[in-house]
Amino acid sequence: MKKTTEQQIDQSARIAVSFFVASAGLWLLAAAFLAYVAAAKLTDPLFLSSFEFFTYGKVKISQANAFVYGWGGNSIFAVSLWIISRLSQSPVRGTPFLLAAGTIWNLAITFGLLGILDGHMLGHELLEMPKDVWPALLISYLVISFLILVVFRSRKKKSTIAPQWFIVAALIWFPCLMMFAWNGLEINPGRGTLTSILSMWFGQNIIWLWLTPVALGCAYYIIPSVLNRPIDKYYLAIFGFWCIAALAPWSVVHHLEGGPVPMWVPAVGTVMSIAMVFPIAVASTNFHSTAFQDISKVWNYLPLRFVIFGTLSYTISSYIGVIFSIPAVAKLTQFSIINEFHFNQRVYGFFSMIIFGVVYHILPQITGREIGSAAKNFHFWTSAFGVFGLLLAYLIGGLTHGVLAQQPSLGWVTVIDSVKPYFLITEFAFVILGFSQLVFVLNVWKVLVPNPFSTIDSTVESKAV
Amino acid sequence: MNNIFKFSGYIFLTLAFAWLAFVVGAKNQYGDLTPSSESLEENGSNIKGEVLYPQSMAGIAQLGAKEYLSLGCVTCHTQQVRSEESGFDVERGWGKRPSVPRDYILQEDVLIGHNRVGPDLANVGLRDYTNEWLHKHLFMPQMEVEGSICQPSPFLYKVSDEPSEKTIEAISVDNKMIYIEPSIQASRIVAYLQSLEQNYELPEVSFIESDIEADELVETADTQTIENEPSSLPSWLSEQINSGKEIYMKAAPGGGLCFTCHQPNGQGIAGQFPPLADSDWVLGDKERLIKISIYGLMGEIEVNGVKYNNVMVPPGIPPGSLTDNQIADVLTYIRNDWGNSASSVSAEEVATVRESIKGRAPMQMWTAAELNKKSDSE
Repeated sequence: MKKTTEQQIDQSARIAVSFFVASAGLWLLAAAFLAYVAAAKLTDPLFLSSFEFFTYGKVKISQANAFVYGWGGNSIFAVSLWIISRLSQSPVRGTPFLLAAGTIWNLAITFGLLGILDGHMLGHELLEMPKDVWPALLISYLVISFLILVVFRSRKKKSTIAPQWFIVAALIWFPCLMMFAWNGLEINPGRGTLTSILSMWFGQNIIWLWLTPVALGCAYYIIPSVLNRPIDKYYLAIFGFWCIAALAPWSVVHHLEGGPVPMWVPAVGTVMSIAMVFPIAVASTNFHSTAFQDISKVWNYLPLRFVIFGTLSYTISSYIGVIFSIPAVAKLTQFSIINEFHFNQRVYGFFSMIIFGVVYHILPQITGREIGSAAKNFHFWTSAFGVFGLLLAYLIGGLTHGVLAQQPSLGWVTVIDSVKPYFLITEFAFVILGFSQLVFVLNVWKVLVPNPFSTIDSTVESKAV
Repeated sequence: MNNIFKFSGYIFLTLAFAWLAFVVGAKNQYGDLTPSSESLEENGSNIKGEVLYPQSMAGIAQLGAKEYLSLGCVTCHTQQVRSEESGFDVERGWGKRPSVPRDYILQEDVLIGHNRVGPDLANVGLRDYTNEWLHKHLFMPQMEVEGSICQPSPFLYKVSDEPSEKTIEAISVDNKMIYIEPSIQASRIVAYLQSLEQNYELPEVSFIESDIEADELVETADTQTIENEPSSLPSWLSEQINSGKEIYMKAAPGGGLCFTCHQPNGQGIAGQFPPLADSDWVLGDKERLIKISIYGLMGEIEVNGVKYNNVMVPPGIPPGSLTDNQIADVLTYIRNDWGNSASSVSAEEVATVRESIKGRAPMQMWTAAELNKKSDSE
């Protein structure tokens, strides 16, 4: 009986989830292309230099936006829709509205990115898209998240568990952040560096309070459900959740250290960043002490391997992030390409890896078709290798950059010269990652749009039914 | 946690608290900063009659800010000099002092940035780059700074083979001479860059004393241009000396006409005009020199033990017309040629001295006795 309920839920979620996964995949490819162009322009400044709409700044910023809103946004809709409806034991409603709102969301990002490339960029971190597209973004987001919350409200079991907290909180945080930013940046803008504080606060919070909680929620869902054992020390999860909720919005401004803002702003940020060790430790304990009880299953079930890669990356690099927020270290690395390390580890090494895993876990269930394991494995290893190379290059390159920049006697050109090899490595890493993301999209494509000439698909489907 | 409305409320509150502090709190703290004079009266009000800083940018520079933003320059360039505790930005020569919130209050787009793949630009207008140099750098950075990874913007220029009034001479990638004509966008950006300077003190922040060594570092850090001749002197010093020599030798309006008496070799004329080479006056107290350069000198003066008695009208054509910069340059030149070697003189030093003797009647030349008495009493 339970099985049929689950199948009904999967059936109801099928169209919407497929739509969001497919759009996410396409945005991922767009972002991979832009990331490559940006990296190539750093190693060879003359590359594509005669096109005004392809300056490094524009490409870099549109890449970040395509990645966060295009890939991040769509995949957040897909996984939260499915996980929330599964946990609520309640079918997805309003699919036409989801599709319509999803289309608007994607169109808004498309126009936003074209606006950036056409020279209408705004100066706000991760809100560079021209403000003409903001209403479309916000409204389509509200429609989608409302429909997800409707599923959550109609849940069978009254009590909630960790994945629900994280995902529902993330869904609510985004529009709040957006409205705070809209008010403070455009409607009622403060003078001078007040906007810089708000823009930094918004840009970092998008990562910390939107992408991060969704990925954590996914991990809280998928690890126990696949391993079929409860989360170890689950009672800590609620502490971890409220720690993130209470500390993260304060911690993100430590990047303003030493800048033209009141001293207490980065000081509060630094203290709170250091306090972030608690939620990081909680999540890490929960995930890893559960997963390592049955490590062979983790290794053999590929979606889980992706997820554990993501959680390990989260733990390690969050601790690195804490170290880099200590003033003595921040002084060295503040403006260096370490910032790229932080951004990429969070969106690639952590968020994307977990989403890949969850998508591979979801798709066979909603479509009834399996993805070839060789293709999945190839995707895993290229991603893992690419992410590792990318992050290592940005980490070591960033340290070099920061330490040399603190030597007043070294010419700036000398400083940049010594960072150039790392730019070259990142260019290669982005090629590998682009390749691996192409494989991901092909994998997804093969499942969503079955080959009519293949007979294997139908047998899997009939078995599932 | 089970009631979605309560839960949303708590979730919203966690965010709103931080927002209250960082946005509302910060706005209350410094949202109404106004331009201020460099120092304040004792009662905390601006000194009347003094210039208020920061000053708003010229219109073309404000348009340049928009272009700067739209091209995405902020991705690689910061515009903030960090405080002393947070980094060596001042030592690196990126500013005379840390940036403070008041510096930015009149800017419509505040582009402080948070990545430094390129140098900080908060004070790029102070670095003596010519417009021409900046245009060439925008057109093709690699032409001006070897090894730069700054992105070329050739689309901002019209390239032609023939020079005209508006064009700037440049060298193309394949080493051909070309002429580039800046578009309106390029001119705006250059005007914007030239306007970026935090060259004033504010009540909350003053210049950080930097010795000459630090100044040297600035230049090696930022103007390692290809044209740099191999010279033991830092480039700013040799520039100042060259400019000073030009003034020393110039016999047309804007010049100093110094050589007619003191001679091109700085030896003067025995019995009539004292020498400058190896002179105790030239190598000694800067203040005396500056005073002489502003008001001239008359009567008896003893130089290197030899007495002279003549009249030196205030230098310049017309007399007394040399600007602070020109005086600084020409004094730096005479202190560093013909075997002389002494510290340079800056326009600020000249300005300070000029300010201190403001009340003196025009053309009232000094006497040596007056100058010596002054410097002794100090």
